[in-house]
Amino acid sequence: MIVAISSSGTSLDSNVDQRFGRCPYFIFYNTDNDNFEFAENESRQAMGGAGIQTGQMIANKGAKAVITGNVGPNAFRVLASTNLKVYSGITGSIRDAVEKFKKGELKEISGPDVGSHFGSGGGGGRW
Amino acid sequence: MEVVAEGVDGKLIISVASGKGGTGKTTVASNLALSVGYCQFLDYDVEAPNSNFFLKPEIKHVQKVTIKHPYFLTETGADFSACADFCHYNAIAALKDEVIFFPELCHGCGGCKLVGPKGTVREKDVVVGEIRKGPAKPNIDFSMGDLKPGSMRTTSVQNALDKLITKDGLVIIDSPPGTSCAMVFAVKDCDYCILVTEPTPYGLNDLELSVGVLEKLNKPFGVIINRDGIGDNKVEEYCNKNYIQILAKIPNDREIAKYYSRGDSLIDYDSSWKKKFENILKGIEKELQT
Repeated sequence: MIVAISSSGTSLDSNVDQRFGRCPYFIFYNTDNDNFEFAENESRQAMGGAGIQTGQMIANKGAKAVITGNVGPNAFRVLASTNLKVYSGITGSIRDAVEKFKKGELKEISGPDVGSHFGSGGGGGRW
Repeated sequence: MEVVAEGVDGKLIISVASGKGGTGKTTVASNLALSVGYCQFLDYDVEAPNSNFFLKPEIKHVQKVTIKHPYFLTETGADFSACADFCHYNAIAALKDEVIFFPELCHGCGGCKLVGPKGTVREKDVVVGEIRKGPAKPNIDFSMGDLKPGSMRTTSVQNALDKLITKDGLVIIDSPPGTSCAMVFAVKDCDYCILVTEPTPYGLNDLELSVGVLEKLNKPFGVIINRDGIGDNKVEEYCNKNYIQILAKIPNDREIAKYYSRGDSLIDYDSSWKKKFENILKGIEKELQT
């Protein structure tokens, strides 16, 4: 099973990034053979809809679960419609998160845990 | 009927913008219109139009503004990933058996229909706001845009207003605040821009941002300081240092605020302002001719 984890860097010692759509990297961890690869999150600079594009990218990579900090409503809709399991509110290293996931210690969420534009760094108001 | 103001091409478009909100754009724009008497007036602040309270037009035409939204014939089994890749605003998520469309992000460009599998992307009209038009006294051809609550398509409504600018003579555009797309849209075609500000640090900060936009667009402009007497002298110092003309100063006066709150004009309160606004217009015309 492939688990996608929002990451601040490219190794297992990197931290789980708190933003889903606008994190710099994703680690795709295969729990069957303990191999992983990373990918740059190209959607992070999107003007809008970063979570949507990121969700689509992860679903199309064949991941079955997502581990991240926070997930907004649009991203959650994309993830939910492809039946991905979403584990949010996760902090610490990627390695720790994977271990907890394997032991079944992470709690799956059933809805978005932040509002729109959470990860876009302020702004808002009139566009 | 006399055409009061003529620009280089028989038309003079003056946009009234500000940077900071609530500095008196609508006060200046509507009083300029009332003072000159004969003009076209367009309220481009479609997210929060309020010039109608001061000009009191008799609305005779209401026109819906629509944009095209796509829908995807997923039952064809077509691959819509090209549509999702194309969409700059990420309004489309193309998944294995499903396309999720986020209408609030769609700008209605129609690109997904062009790049998608032939015949599988259709479009429908979606209302994003409306235009209201009618005469106002003394001789004002009034139009305003009103964005539908919840819609993000500000510039689509402004674009519909653009199409109404046809006549010769003076055209006054009441711009939205800020320096984002909506403000740029309201000043992009103007011959001259009046920037209304207040003598506070916030007013100055946003004035500088607005000046930056107008310099990029190569537009001539001048400043009106509203609520003169509050705050500090920094706005005036900034204007003097940068050779920006201060067209007028409107004093901070509780009576003016009372008139405003009733929808009455500055020239109702103090008729000498009629002459002042006429002179501001004459000065602008003169500046543009040289």
